Amino acid sequence: MKRGWRFVLAASLGAIGIALLAGAGSAAQQATVTFTVGDTQDVDTLNPAVGALVVDYDVWNMHYPTLTRKAASDFHTIPGLATSWKGSNGGKTWTYKLRPHLRWSDGVPLTSADIVYTINRARKEGWLNYTAFIGNITASAPNARTVVLKTSVSDPRLPGLGDTFIVPKHIYAKISAKNLTKYPATDGVGAGPYTIDKFVKGQYVRLKANPNYWGGKPKVDQVVLRIFSNGDSMVFALKKGEIDAANDIPAADFKGLESSKGMVAVQGQQGSFDELALNGYNGKPSRNTKKFSSPNPALKDLRFRQAIAHAIDKEALVSRAYQGIGIPADAMSPGASPEWRPKIPKSLLYDFDLNEAKKILDSAGYKDTNDNGIRNLPHGGADIVLRYLVDSESSYARPISQFVTSWLKDIGIGTKTSTFNESQLTVQIGKGAYDLFTWGWTPFVDPDPELSYFTCSQVAHDASDFTNYYNDSSYCDPGYDKLYAQQRVELNHAKRVAIVHKMLTRFYRSAVYDVLEYSPELQAYRTDRFTGWIRQPAKIGPVLFTNTSPTYANLKPIKK
Amino acid sequence: MTFRFVGGKVLGSLGTFAFVVVFNFFLFRVVETNPVGTLFRGRNLTEAQRAELRHQFGLDGSKLDQFWHYLVQLAHFNLGRSYETNATVFSEIWTAAWPTIALVGISTLLSTIFGVLIGISAAWRRGSVRDHGWTTFTMTTYAMPDFWLGMLLLIVFAVLLSWFPIGGITDPTSNASGLGTLVDQAHHLFLPCLTLTVAYLGEYALVMRSSLLDTMREDYLVLARAKGLRDALVRRRHAVPNALLPVVTLIAINFGFVLSGAIAVEAIYSWPGLGHATYQAIRAPDLPMLQGLFLVFSASVIFFNLVADLAYSWLDPRVRTN
Repeated sequence: MKRGWRFVLAASLGAIGIALLAGAGSAAQQATVTFTVGDTQDVDTLNPAVGALVVDYDVWNMHYPTLTRKAASDFHTIPGLATSWKGSNGGKTWTYKLRPHLRWSDGVPLTSADIVYTINRARKEGWLNYTAFIGNITASAPNARTVVLKTSVSDPRLPGLGDTFIVPKHIYAKISAKNLTKYPATDGVGAGPYTIDKFVKGQYVRLKANPNYWGGKPKVDQVVLRIFSNGDSMVFALKKGEIDAANDIPAADFKGLESSKGMVAVQGQQGSFDELALNGYNGKPSRNTKKFSSPNPALKDLRFRQAIAHAIDKEALVSRAYQGIGIPADAMSPGASPEWRPKIPKSLLYDFDLNEAKKILDSAGYKDTNDNGIRNLPHGGADIVLRYLVDSESSYARPISQFVTSWLKDIGIGTKTSTFNESQLTVQIGKGAYDLFTWGWTPFVDPDPELSYFTCSQVAHDASDFTNYYNDSSYCDPGYDKLYAQQRVELNHAKRVAIVHKMLTRFYRSAVYDVLEYSPELQAYRTDRFTGWIRQPAKIGPVLFTNTSPTYANLKPIKK
Repeated sequence: MTFRFVGGKVLGSLGTFAFVVVFNFFLFRVVETNPVGTLFRGRNLTEAQRAELRHQFGLDGSKLDQFWHYLVQLAHFNLGRSYETNATVFSEIWTAAWPTIALVGISTLLSTIFGVLIGISAAWRRGSVRDHGWTTFTMTTYAMPDFWLGMLLLIVFAVLLSWFPIGGITDPTSNASGLGTLVDQAHHLFLPCLTLTVAYLGEYALVMRSSLLDTMREDYLVLARAKGLRDALVRRRHAVPNALLPVVTLIAINFGFVLSGAIAVEAIYSWPGLGHATYQAIRAPDLPMLQGLFLVFSASVIFFNLVADLAYSWLDPRVRTN
């Protein structure tokens, strides 16, 4: 028995010894300059035609080139593969001139043929990530350095084409349309500042500096995007120095990092927001009432919705439900840049005022006729009890619902809460089986998609697929639709911004979509290893996982 | 063991598995969901793109059609495609299974060896300081949640002492191959493996101690001593083999849970195994992955329960005759 113990003990000590030696070995082999960023979201695919996650975009931003890029400051269009461009035919034709001597990372020349191939094939085959941008564009190449794009209607997003990742024709031409969705895209051929070197699912993506990058080889040899299953472990790794920066930091850890020496904690705003949505369905467009659920009749009344808007204390929600992280909101944010968000005049704001809310309800005829603490519909109608759907996947939805239901109770409105995951929530919203819910959006850079969600055509009305629609306020306002159509073809930027402001102010006043807070990305980085951090948009945005993540190409190691 | 006995046990297990296959399909379809709508929310897909995605996800057709499709796929060892990665669920599970088998397999082995030895040591000197020490230690580790222990070990050995990495299975910057990779993996494996070993050895130690104490009261041990056998020999040849019976069952049953891994520990150490895959699939939510994972976990538990049944009856004839 004693011999047995000795053997087990010796084996255990041996294992510890080997493990420690391995640690020493791996520490000694750091020869190249590596920038490591941690994230809690796993990369689903490297294939730009089918991927859908934020983390995928960061890899594509490093690996694939784009015809034009978006400025770090405010997303305006700046040169990418193209150095100059010219519009004609009322903005329906754009001609781009490419840089000379462009090459893919494997040395093959990158020409206009690659760009034409990507755009035309993506449009024909309906690549998921491309159609929203190039679905209406036909590309041609008069010569190796010229690209001509034509659209049937003028598109204010052009000449910008910063979301269309150009793929190498000499690689993709070998992949059939049928096999494309299964293509892992680990060929490693790119033309961005870094190219994909190694991808280990569930662990990391490693990219190496591209010597053929048109902007010059980056100062960092390799970038590692390391996946953590646990946000707390990621924060430990950041503090210890195993990683240089981290994204998606748990709110509970963020405050501690803000006061940590040698660390910069960033609350990056790029348009994301959370909202309390009301079911504002007003009969437009018409739909089968047997298949769709109707909202509480009181919600059709603007005064009733305005009373609810007055009953939400957004300052309190940010400081308590959101643990002090984020900014109390008013108008919806339709794009990544703050310029698209209107400043709502003070006289039009729905300030938190429970007495005002009660006054509005009283004057509109919503009185508690049976003395049970809940107001009734006018003329002796039923108690007003709103169906409140709580998102089980959001850590904030539950505390928000507790605050909101309590305020609504204070003004005499009852609620009945039920919890759903986001997949179920999508179905319930489509069916109109809700009165209230909280969720959020992260808009694209251009405001058009986010604005389009709230047009009448996006109110669910076809029962064969409830989820084929995005208007989760279920509110149809023809005046909003008219403005939407105007901004869509307005090529003058300042005029387009003015139209967007007008429609968002109108939407705010309809009180069907109470935007609660502008939600930040929580990130942090060490100050002892690298310089060159760029916030996008300027001053308020995050430093990584931004729309185009310019930081990676700009990083420089600190010499010690 | 008769053919009838073994056949009965195998048929019973197959019946349980058939139930799981049916239950597993309907479990994930009890509530109405729409993965296409959720995963591509706000992407303004065309109707053709949505129809294609529904087809790819196997969501077109009635529930009955989907069930038939699921059974046909299963008969071909095809568990469908992941919503998130579009790769086959089988390949995703296969990739994630090896890290889990390495982690939970090694730790189960170590916790068994250490647990049994501690149990023997404590029982043989019942009431001694050693017994009290081991019992206190094992009761403490047995009661300790594995995620809490994992966090504690991580903070001490990875953060404060920097002896081990914080997570992952390999160093992302390493280009090592062969033995170098193996050593690198051992370095990463150490802390999660230690966590699971310490968390589970208490169970084995306590069962072994109690079983050995029962055996020590048996007459044949008194007889063995009366024959003049040395104490160590009595313990090794007569006491321990008989006391091992309940531990063998426990080992077999616990091995059934090897594949389901240790979700909490894999999450703490970012260990890319089946626990991590389950966690990610729940977050997505990736129903084909969850369905496939649940099926594999259930199959593994059913299989090892069958092994435990057969092993126990082979070791103890009283079971099969009854």
